[in-house]
Amino acid sequence: MTARKLTFEIFRYNPEDPESKPHMQEFTLAEEPYMTLFRALNMIREEQDTGLQFDFSCRSAVCGSCGMMVNGRPTLACKTLTSDLADTVRLHPLPAFKLIGDLSVDTGTWFRAMAEQVGAWVHERAPFDPKAVEEPMDDELAAAIYESDRCIECGCCVASCGVANVRPGFVAPAGMNRIARFMMDPRDARSDTDWFDVVSNDDGVFGCIGLMACHDVCPKELPLLEVYAYLRRRALGTAFLKKA
Amino acid sequence: MDDAAEILQTGAVRRTGEGPSPAVSAREARRQVLYELLSGVSGLILALFMWGHMFFVGSILLGEPAFDWLAEGLEVTYVAQPTVVIILALFILHAVLAARKIPAQLRERRRFVALAKELHNAAGEWRSEGEESPLRPHVESWLWIWQVRTGMVMLVLGSFHLVLMGLDILTPLFGERVGIEAATSIARTSAGLVWAYGLLLLCVEFHAGVGLYRLAIKWGGGSRLRRKTLERVEKFIFWFFLGLGFLVLLVLAGWIPPPLAFLLGG
Ligand code: FES
Repeated sequence: MTARKLTFEIFRYNPEDPESKPHMQEFTLAEEPYMTLFRALNMIREEQDTGLQFDFSCRSAVCGSCGMMVNGRPTLACKTLTSDLADTVRLHPLPAFKLIGDLSVDTGTWFRAMAEQVGAWVHERAPFDPKAVEEPMDDELAAAIYESDRCIECGCCVASCGVANVRPGFVAPAGMNRIARFMMDPRDARSDTDWFDVVSNDDGVFGCIGLMACHDVCPKELPLLEVYAYLRRRALGTAFLKKA
Repeated sequence: MDDAAEILQTGAVRRTGEGPSPAVSAREARRQVLYELLSGVSGLILALFMWGHMFFVGSILLGEPAFDWLAEGLEVTYVAQPTVVIILALFILHAVLAARKIPAQLRERRRFVALAKELHNAAGEWRSEGEESPLRPHVESWLWIWQVRTGMVMLVLGSFHLVLMGLDILTPLFGERVGIEAATSIARTSAGLVWAYGLLLLCVEFHAGVGLYRLAIKWGGGSRLRRKTLERVEKFIFWFFLGLGFLVLLVLAGWIPPPLAFLLGG
């Protein structure tokens, strides 16, 4: 079998440079067996254009730094095999984030701001006592919390979400997932009424219009649709069953 | 530049956090739940009504006498009169509430459309064979765009139709008596309304089908199996009512005779 010749159309733009204009640049590369986009991009940078900007760190779908638009879908470049792609590979940076240059975006600022907005840390019920025996947690609950903690904050869901793309305050799928995680946690002091103000508005769960893209593109296959439905039902319950 | 570049031209970028303080007051939050609930429930009622409606106008398939009998029955029992008023009110309520979600600015809408199109077309640029397919095809964003578009068409044609029906039911303006009659309906439809109604029918069935599917996912979650089932149900309902609707339209336009008239010995 002869190797395919892959054409890469890569988005180029350096916002720091006033001369730079957004454009697509073409590169060609011979495909190798089991080639990932990580390998392909590194080869292009080494052999063809040393100025090409993109991010990688773990190369194993764990750190979440290599999210980009690959042929129209946000995904992790390090876990994408070129064999899954058509002969022409279009690469763009993730939308909705601040562009650093070419394929590199700043997801950190976004996630930091979101985390502050939703208070994405355990609000302790009582000061931590290192000598006390730890309270046991139900297996099922622990598993559910662990499931949502699998989020690596790569930003693919945010990029795929129409709403997050036009509304900067929207906490987006990743934020919803965080909220649900702390809502479930019995160690967290916040009550449903506390959460209600954060969840039940257009920057919270009701900003979601049910596009479902987040669920479909999530590289970690998190059950985001379930998360949303869970938050909706909790908000409904709080509104009608609890006196605030 | 292609669509993806278009997406990147403008956009939401979060620069600083708003802090952990509550984003809205509890009162406002309660109002938001209410809006969301009303928008969903009004949509649900309208969709259910449309199914009932389809069976009622479907009586024309049995011939004009059956249609007239049913129409008069609903009018002398005073079912039709309040219904047309309530449906018109729900229709407006739903339009207002659902429109909250449409981005206000043109460039935001362009961005929305470009993103949805990219995600939808991606399936053609991925090969993903093999058993562990990394690609989960995604069409729902694109369907949402069309929900808005069909909604706009319905706002115009649906209002027209509702007002026309209101006049027909409540005033002696059309036909020989106050109320809906097969003869006047056929006259109107065959005179050219059939085209408007054909378009309206298509929009209604699409909008209601996708809307119900989305509503179920939004409140019920969508484990993969459930979502697939819902999708199938949605498709079936869509084609069933579209088919039935077009058959009714063909009869009302006078292009075919009532196909089930023989059941009543006609
Ligand atoms: S490089 Fe870490 S997720 Fe891809």
